[in-house]
Amino acid sequence: MSNFFPVAQRRQLRRRVPALLKKQESKRGLLIAFEGPDGSGKTTQRKLFQDWLKGQGHKVVMTKWNSSELIKPLTKARKTAQALSPREFSLLHAADFRHRLETEILPSLWRGRMVVADRYLFTALARDAARGLDLHWLMQMYSPILWPDVVFYFAVTPETSTQRVAADRTPKYYEAGQDVTGFEDPLASYQEFIGRVIQEYEALALIFQFVTIDAEKSIHEQHKLLRKAFEQAERRLWTEWNADALTEWLDLRSRMPEAVLEE
Amino acid sequence: MRSDRPPTPGKLIALEGSAAALLTNGCRKLAAANKTGRAAAGVSRWDASGIFFEMGMRASGAGVPSPKTLMLLHAADLSFRLRWELGPLLDQGRHVVAAPYVESYIALGKAFGVSRRWLADLFRFAPPAAESYRIEEPASVPGNRQSLRSYLDNSVDLLNGESLVWDPARVRAQVLAYLDALERRGGCRRLPA
Repeated sequence: MSNFFPVAQRRQLRRRVPALLKKQESKRGLLIAFEGPDGSGKTTQRKLFQDWLKGQGHKVVMTKWNSSELIKPLTKARKTAQALSPREFSLLHAADFRHRLETEILPSLWRGRMVVADRYLFTALARDAARGLDLHWLMQMYSPILWPDVVFYFAVTPETSTQRVAADRTPKYYEAGQDVTGFEDPLASYQEFIGRVIQEYEALALIFQFVTIDAEKSIHEQHKLLRKAFEQAERRLWTEWNADALTEWLDLRSRMPEAVLEE
Repeated sequence: MRSDRPPTPGKLIALEGSAAALLTNGCRKLAAANKTGRAAAGVSRWDASGIFFEMGMRASGAGVPSPKTLMLLHAADLSFRLRWELGPLLDQGRHVVAAPYVESYIALGKAFGVSRRWLADLFRFAPPAAESYRIEEPASVPGNRQSLRSYLDNSVDLLNGESLVWDPARVRAQVLAYLDALERRGGCRRLPA
């Protein structure tokens, strides 16, 4: 039984990480996150962008919010039963994110794939803070954070988001924030809740320097803006931005069976 | 005669440890010793949320969690226990025993290599216990003598999946070492098994 990774070996790995990351920098893929409220059109833009990247010859991996095969069934069952408190909602989504981060996102980046994230952890920060949870606690839960190279934020007003969502469907219980607004009408609840989410998003966009796209513009215009912003964006060096997250993952990878964290 | 006075809040009693059968016995003792009127103290145990039961039923291809993912699930379960078991009983003025509670989870996470600071932050939402105990237990419990599987056994199984990365005996030894240190610092009292 291999069990514990010796402390000395871990220290040795940690010492080697900066050189390893520097070497990997030119080979690694980029992480591009798409963020914004429902109805902001980010999924449409994400698909167009993904196709464009593929057209440029990149190998692209897409990861969606709340999609881990391991955790999603737990969350889905509890959402259906409307049985989650804001904190439980938050913790299960964090577990889902972490599992995808360790088994999909980081291995893909390491192998040189472009990773396009249809929602990233900022979704949790915005929604969970809008549900009244402490932002500091939320950020600690996701720490060490793997910072994307670029975050595109699709900005719309609460009214536009509500109109677009209403044209398509009745928002579900948690999507509408009915667990925290106490409104019986899903649409009225959605409008109230999305207003809070957008406020949180706007604060995050400012603090973390998202590339804000005016999602009230036409699809074509937004796509052009997106390409231009991407071409002008500078990669965030792993050694400067993500050394802690990468060190933790490499440490984990060295202790886990290959089946879990494939090369 | 009915009193309109709100009940005095109950007392949250933490019982830490690693072996399910010993924790169950300890709960019985603490519940009997902490009656409110005629009612024994309530008991809140691991996996009241059913998260870990469902994890055990998952498809084999769904992968295995990492230690941090696992600890997030333990936190979700504890949050559920606080909302549905611990909180309501305390509000009614009843005493309640939580087994395991925060320190056991921190000990477990640490044994899996997760930083203590991250774990302490994660479980910050849980209120401090009014009284904390750790059950007296031998350093190792042979697998075939365990009639009940604890949060620790389940966690090791989940992390291992079909491999044998984590040795349950070593994980248990580290958890007990953490609880020993906690006891030495006065963070809990020993409860005879």
